[in-house]
Amino acid sequence: MQKLFTIFVLVLFFVTWGKNISPAVAGYSSLTLPWIKYQGGNDNPRPDALRSLLAQVTRRTSIEVNREPVALNISDPDLFRHPFIYMGGDEGFDPFPEKDLKVLRNYLSYGGFLLIDDNSAQADSAFDTSVRKMVSALFPQNPLRKIQRDHSIFRSFYLLNTVSGRSIVKPYLEGISIKGRTVLIYSSNDQGGAWSRNKLGHWNYDVIAGGHKQRQLAIRLGVNIIMYALTLDYKKDMVHLPIILERLRRYNSR
Amino acid sequence: MNGLTKLLGIDPEVYNQWQLHWSPEDPAVIYGVLGVVIPIALWFFWTSLNRVGSRSRKLLLFVLRLAAFTLLLLILLKPELEFRKSQTLKNSIAVLLDNSKSLSIKTDESPRIDLIKKALATNASYLEKLGQDFNVDYYFVSDDIEKAAARTVESLYQPHRPFTNLTRVFEELAEHYPRPSLQGVFLFSDGADLTQESGEISRNLVERIKALDSPIHTLQAGSNEGFKDLAVESVSASDFGFVQQPLRISLTVFSSAMGNRNVPLVLKEGDRILVSKIVEVREDTKRYEVELEFIPQSAGKRIYSLGLPKFAGEFILTNNEKEFEINVVRDRIRILHLNGRPSWDSRYLREVLAHNPKVDLLSFFILRNIGDDVEAPTTELSLIPFPSNLLFDDYLSSFDLIVFQNFKYDPFIDKKYLGNIRKYVQNGGAFLMIGGELSFQGGGYSRTPIEEILPVIFEETPRVFVDEAFQPVLNQEFSRHPILHLEKDLKLNQEVWSSLPPLQSINLGLTPKKEAHVLAQHPKGASVPLLVAGEFGKGRTALLATDSVWSWNFRNVGGGGSGRYFQRFWNNIIDWLIAEPETRRLQLESDKEQYREGEQALIKFKLLKKNYQPAVDTKVQLTLKSLNKESGPETELKTDEQGEGVFPFLPAREGFYTARIKADLEGESLAEEIMFSVLKDTAEFEKPLINEYLLKKISELSGGSYRILNGSDDLSTYQFANPDVRLKSHSRSFSLWDNWWAYSLMVGFLVVDWFLRRKSGLS
Repeated sequence: MQKLFTIFVLVLFFVTWGKNISPAVAGYSSLTLPWIKYQGGNDNPRPDALRSLLAQVTRRTSIEVNREPVALNISDPDLFRHPFIYMGGDEGFDPFPEKDLKVLRNYLSYGGFLLIDDNSAQADSAFDTSVRKMVSALFPQNPLRKIQRDHSIFRSFYLLNTVSGRSIVKPYLEGISIKGRTVLIYSSNDQGGAWSRNKLGHWNYDVIAGGHKQRQLAIRLGVNIIMYALTLDYKKDMVHLPIILERLRRYNSR
Repeated sequence: MNGLTKLLGIDPEVYNQWQLHWSPEDPAVIYGVLGVVIPIALWFFWTSLNRVGSRSRKLLLFVLRLAAFTLLLLILLKPELEFRKSQTLKNSIAVLLDNSKSLSIKTDESPRIDLIKKALATNASYLEKLGQDFNVDYYFVSDDIEKAAARTVESLYQPHRPFTNLTRVFEELAEHYPRPSLQGVFLFSDGADLTQESGEISRNLVERIKALDSPIHTLQAGSNEGFKDLAVESVSASDFGFVQQPLRISLTVFSSAMGNRNVPLVLKEGDRILVSKIVEVREDTKRYEVELEFIPQSAGKRIYSLGLPKFAGEFILTNNEKEFEINVVRDRIRILHLNGRPSWDSRYLREVLAHNPKVDLLSFFILRNIGDDVEAPTTELSLIPFPSNLLFDDYLSSFDLIVFQNFKYDPFIDKKYLGNIRKYVQNGGAFLMIGGELSFQGGGYSRTPIEEILPVIFEETPRVFVDEAFQPVLNQEFSRHPILHLEKDLKLNQEVWSSLPPLQSINLGLTPKKEAHVLAQHPKGASVPLLVAGEFGKGRTALLATDSVWSWNFRNVGGGGSGRYFQRFWNNIIDWLIAEPETRRLQLESDKEQYREGEQALIKFKLLKKNYQPAVDTKVQLTLKSLNKESGPETELKTDEQGEGVFPFLPAREGFYTARIKADLEGESLAEEIMFSVLKDTAEFEKPLINEYLLKKISELSGGSYRILNGSDDLSTYQFANPDVRLKSHSRSFSLWDNWWAYSLMVGFLVVDWFLRRKSGLS
């Protein structure tokens, strides 16, 4: 009887404790990928993209993720809870108000990361024009530049020597770096389209020209971009270099 | 002159000269204008007088106009009358007597200074006679000049000054004499000026000699013939060295009349020989550049000594050895940072560590777990095997700090290596565990050596980690703890802590050990500690029971703040864990690192309690000991209300000293030790040779002559010019134009002129 009473007290204690310290935000330090809402155009043409990518990240890496989709305005007070944001689209959009540009500039300059994805799968699309205008207003002195192949993004998890996507409009990524840290990456290749998968596990969109391998490379690039945002230039530490360089030599010679 | 002085009401006895001054600001323009305007005006005026019949009236009018113009001219030229008193100045001869220590070096059995004394005695009558026509001023010179009365020279002249700098000597000498009263200089010296390179004369010295504008007769005391000496002349080493990093020093060995031989040069720390080298001394070479390299083994101020053997017959033995001090510091703080998985918390911490120039960071992220399906062969991955053997066996002791951030050791580290970490901390290492699901109990550390070294006990609990928003509460008892110092001011510091964004997660089931310092906790109290510091063996450990501190960086920026306090927080933790001197509870320092012989040293100390509050009115024992000597008596001192104290100490002799302080506080014995040096000024013996070149050059540049003293010198051959030099002592000036009568006279002339013109029928 006394034993039963002790167990009852212990159970009660843990229940009470659980009530007193209740979760506020699930997995605060886990990775959440919010997409950015904006005026004009279509800000969510690939609604399954981020959930699908996060599923791949969970499956392939040790990163803890929150898969629930989150949508944010730039002016949202919760923006700074999420150091990684995604902005997709396939149409032209209204210029960001100066207030939002200021917030975004601050966000990127002090530790945030933005991935922009042109989902139109077309060169010189209306979305592309709007993005370039927006980026130019965001960092007038620091234009988009091609990301070199020795960037950590191409070795942060997978060793990559190509830039893939659903449709390879440009065989390279563009980006903006501040004080040695890349804070913005722009892909013209509809990465979201290659990642998107429905709840039954079927791919939402066919990749153009490259088939399964192209899609796999797009997923690997997505994983690498996330890994870069979380570990920065970790893979350029001296301790990694000899092994990585040797593997790159073999990989590139294939 | 007398009439004039009476008229102006001044005493004619006071002034013996007068002079008229003209002072137009731009005389050329004024003369030019007046030279043209006045003749033309007078010509017009003269022609206008044609209608005046009376020649005398015409002449009077012209004279009146001429007088008015003359007065105008005077006013424009601003004449001033100066009365002054001037006196004839007696010219001077300066006798400079080098009293630096190098004059004590013997030449032919007697010190160099004796040659100078002998020359002064032999020529006493000549110098006295010279005093009838000149002021003969005596100065002791070294790195400054000190005037001496003629009668006291013999008794006061001693070679005791530690440094020779003739540039400063001539600079100061020029200040003593208004030009051109100094008509000549005698310089009695060996020319061993430590600021001049051998065989060269500096531009500064040349300028000073020229500025003096007087002949300098140099009289050399002694010669270098037969001067036998072996010396460590100069040592060039950085003030700082790094632990375990090669340190190079350069030095010059000087040799004179030592013959051809090989001499060993030895570098020692205490009695331990660090490195030695053979210097091949040859008769025809005076100086040898030598480089030595060694590896300092531990941090702190280290005193090293260089030594050459002492040979019979050497003129100076003290310069065969030379001691010098190097502050050996950690080159960088080596941190091993292990991350159980990539997260925002680890990303922002890594950024702080990687950007800290003091930190040498080796970090590892566990990017995939065994169960993860990467869908690629290893060759297409950038992942490398985790080198646990190397890290936790071979190189563990090379790290200053090990950080486990949300890191589960199994299967990456063999459990036996956790014991190595315990040993490492026990021997003085530092360990930090940062929270998350994979930390503490979640990482399987219960009942492992890690639990032993951390200042908490891991309790069994069904939930070891929860997401929970809360504002941390600082433990006021530890408000002065160095880890919590985001701002110096206590009140401001508290405000800063309150202003930081809330944290979002907490590890549960951690009970502080008895000696643990709970610096911050969950609002529920100390039973839910957040930030705990402790000591284990000689090392320090700490834990942070959350994985959401990154809020203090990025979220704070979003709230209008900055990441400044986040960086400072981590720097504080690192500094405390590796026991940087400013985080020690017993601190000891001297007001200077080097003292001169006879200078008082101030030994300052500070004692803090375990919670870093000042230990007031607490006894400490201070012992001062000179290197290689018996320990001095122990002095008992007490701390003041700030926990501080000062002990003045007058070192008895030159050398290196150790100050050691001990205190028993809260059941713990604390001790600290520092070193400082008291330097005897032996610089004069580092370059003991007579600098014949310099003395010759000084005389040549100044128009003087050079001579080597031989004991029977006749100085009467030196002749000096004695021109009449007058010096104005005081004066008084009177303006001849800026007064009422000059203007009245001019107006008067014009009024009479106007009146007569009217009377003569002119307009």
